[in-house]
Amino acid sequence: MTEPNLSIEFAGLTLKNPVFTASGTCGYIDELAAFMDVSALGGFTTKSITLYPRKGNFTPRIVETDAGMLNAIGLANIGLDRFLREKVPLIAQYDTAVFVNVAGRTIDEYVAVTERLSQEKAIAGFELNISCPNVKKGGITFGTDPQQVETITQTVKKVAGAKPLMVKLTPTVTDITVTARAAIAGGADALSMVNTFTAMVIDIEARRPILANRTGGLSGPAIKPIAVYLVQRVYREVAKLAGIPILGMGGIRNASDAAEFLIAGATAVAVGTASFIRPDCCQSVLDGLHDYCRRHKIANIRDLTGTLQD
Amino acid sequence: MKHRSAQSSRIFTAVVRQHRIIRPRYRLLTLELDAKGSAAFASVMPGQFVEIDAGPLSLPQDKDIPAELLDSAKRNIMLRRPFSFSAIRHKGNKFEIDISYHVVGPSTVRLTTLVPGDSLNLIGPLGNGFRIDQSRPIAVLIAGGMGAPPIQHLAAHLKSHHPDMRVTAFIGARSLDEIPFDIGTDPDGGIIFPAFSSVGVPHAMTTDDGSFGVKGFVTQLVEKLLVPGPFQTDKAILYACGPEPMLTAVSRLAAKIGVHCQLSMERMMACGIGLCQSCAIKTRDPQAEDGWSYRLCCKDGPVLDGKDVIFD
Ligand SMILES: Cc1cc2nc3c(=O)[nH]c(=O)nc-3n(C[C@H](O)[C@H](O)[C@H](O)COP(=O)(O)OP(=O)(O)OC[C@H]3O[C@@H](n4cnc5c(N)ncnc54)[C@H](O)[C@@H]3O)c2cc1C
Ligand SMILES: Cc1cc2nc3c(=O)[nH]c(=O)nc-3n(C[C@H](O)[C@H](O)[C@H](O)COP(=O)(O)O)c2cc1C
Ligand code: FES
Repeated sequence: MTEPNLSIEFAGLTLKNPVFTASGTCGYIDELAAFMDVSALGGFTTKSITLYPRKGNFTPRIVETDAGMLNAIGLANIGLDRFLREKVPLIAQYDTAVFVNVAGRTIDEYVAVTERLSQEKAIAGFELNISCPNVKKGGITFGTDPQQVETITQTVKKVAGAKPLMVKLTPTVTDITVTARAAIAGGADALSMVNTFTAMVIDIEARRPILANRTGGLSGPAIKPIAVYLVQRVYREVAKLAGIPILGMGGIRNASDAAEFLIAGATAVAVGTASFIRPDCCQSVLDGLHDYCRRHKIANIRDLTGTLQD
Repeated sequence: MKHRSAQSSRIFTAVVRQHRIIRPRYRLLTLELDAKGSAAFASVMPGQFVEIDAGPLSLPQDKDIPAELLDSAKRNIMLRRPFSFSAIRHKGNKFEIDISYHVVGPSTVRLTTLVPGDSLNLIGPLGNGFRIDQSRPIAVLIAGGMGAPPIQHLAAHLKSHHPDMRVTAFIGARSLDEIPFDIGTDPDGGIIFPAFSSVGVPHAMTTDDGSFGVKGFVTQLVEKLLVPGPFQTDKAILYACGPEPMLTAVSRLAAKIGVHCQLSMERMMACGIGLCQSCAIKTRDPQAEDGWSYRLCCKDGPVLDGKDVIFD
């Protein structure tokens, strides 16, 4: 058979394959580029960028758990100005669709970051982080209230120019299809899901939470079956009809995990925590998806999306 | 056709050559690096580290797990763990590295099962090691507990690369059971550590409980021996690695007597390569509005200039 075609259509862009990095787990780009060929990726999502630099939370910021980890980094980042000066020129050197993950405390901050970056050629699109569980103001409060989700999406969309806007959903809600609908109503070009699940680990000797922030976001293989389930629900109940693609993530370590997300309804997948253990994990997911398509005689990987049988 | 794999030269395999029990909870693991790893180690410095993936290793039987670790060590692991090296040697065109480790949790308990011939996946060498300050030829090395391995490596490195320097080592541990080296005797029957005496570095030892060496904290001994003597502070430097309270004391002592110091720091690390921002260390930063900013232990450290680190 001819080689499978791994390219996909994603929010108006043609991407060479469906494998992305997940925000916050791959640096700004150069850190990961030291360990893998970043230009082999379909897409790259940066660490969350805020209008002003953020120092982030006190340490410990992470703790490992069975089949996962909790993080409470607190959106530590260099801020918009330094990002533009130091990182955008680096990003321009790689041949992959770079989505800037945008975060803020107020809608104005989201708008300011997006507007300023909307003219940058090196940036392919935006991912709106309205779901970070580790900051006190903004973040998760936007992401759990459907009215707020719609308003912020609509407002940011206006300044994103021609670039696609992806909205990252939090799983820490009663019904994720409600926030998914709200994001689409606000004009989202894609949904990314899921962010981490709020969790806690306790040091029983000191009777204190291990993390300085007390709680953190659970990621890794532990959340994969929940994330697959949520992608499948949003795809069937909302995204498929609306024609909006999903970037699926949560615990992906290999091509088999990635294939589950695609079958559940994701158009593309992102590798997060697994890059910490194998910095070239995205590459092996890509190689494995290629082999999977050959094995199943799938000519175009885009035909795999949402093929879950009843 | 497969997608081209841009394999990094710093992700490689190492084979176990020796594995020895030093104390009940301390072991010495000798690894032979493959060709890729050996190339990556060509210009390694003491204080740098490797990230070891113990995930694929199995657990020992319950009877071989320290009782107080039975609950915590048996959970599943996912992340790599950082370890520095206590020695590195050429073996033909390959490198051999020694890792001394303390059995404290799920990864290190799994490491105890390794036997010669087993292989491990490593990333490294990572981070910035000690920067040898040629203008300060009086080198005072201070180690506390599991901070000893890079200090042992540094002692050997200074002796072979800077033979004119005056190197002295001070090593502290909680008790005899927590001394991570072999103990030997010199011809006069005095107690020595071959790890230091074999490279000609005079050394002194403290234990908190007095079960071995001088009773007390290692920084107290350094202060007692150094400060009164004829001591050219502008020619001296302290190189230290150990638990944070010890590093705090070293940094205070350095400030008090007016000498430079370099500190090898530790943080919980999820990645070790600058991807996750988990390993933040508070440092002085004149450029920052409030005078401080975080640096990453894994990328900017683990060795930092003592005057830059802020201990709260
Ligand atoms: C740069 C660097 C070099 C190191 N070199 C060595 C070495 O040469 N030999 C050695 O034995 N150990 C070394 N360590 C510490 C070693 O990484 C930890 O002991 C190891 O991660 C323990 O793993 P575990 O799964 O067995 O236990 P875990 O369950 O991960 O840890 C057991 C206990 O140790 C604490 N701990 C774990 N990692 C750290 C850390 N990085 N800083 C402070 N506390 C921690 C945990 O809070 C927990 O209470 C080094 C650490 C760093 C950052
Ligand atoms: C250390 C760490 C930092 C993260 N930082 C961000 C962030 O800044 N912005 C964001 O939208 N998501 C962030 N995430 C969430 C991931 O992008 C991803 O949604 C989540 O980890 C689930 O995927 P995984 O299980 O493959 O890691 C972070 C995750 C981790 C583990
Ligand atoms: S451990 Fe991930 S950035 Fe340092």
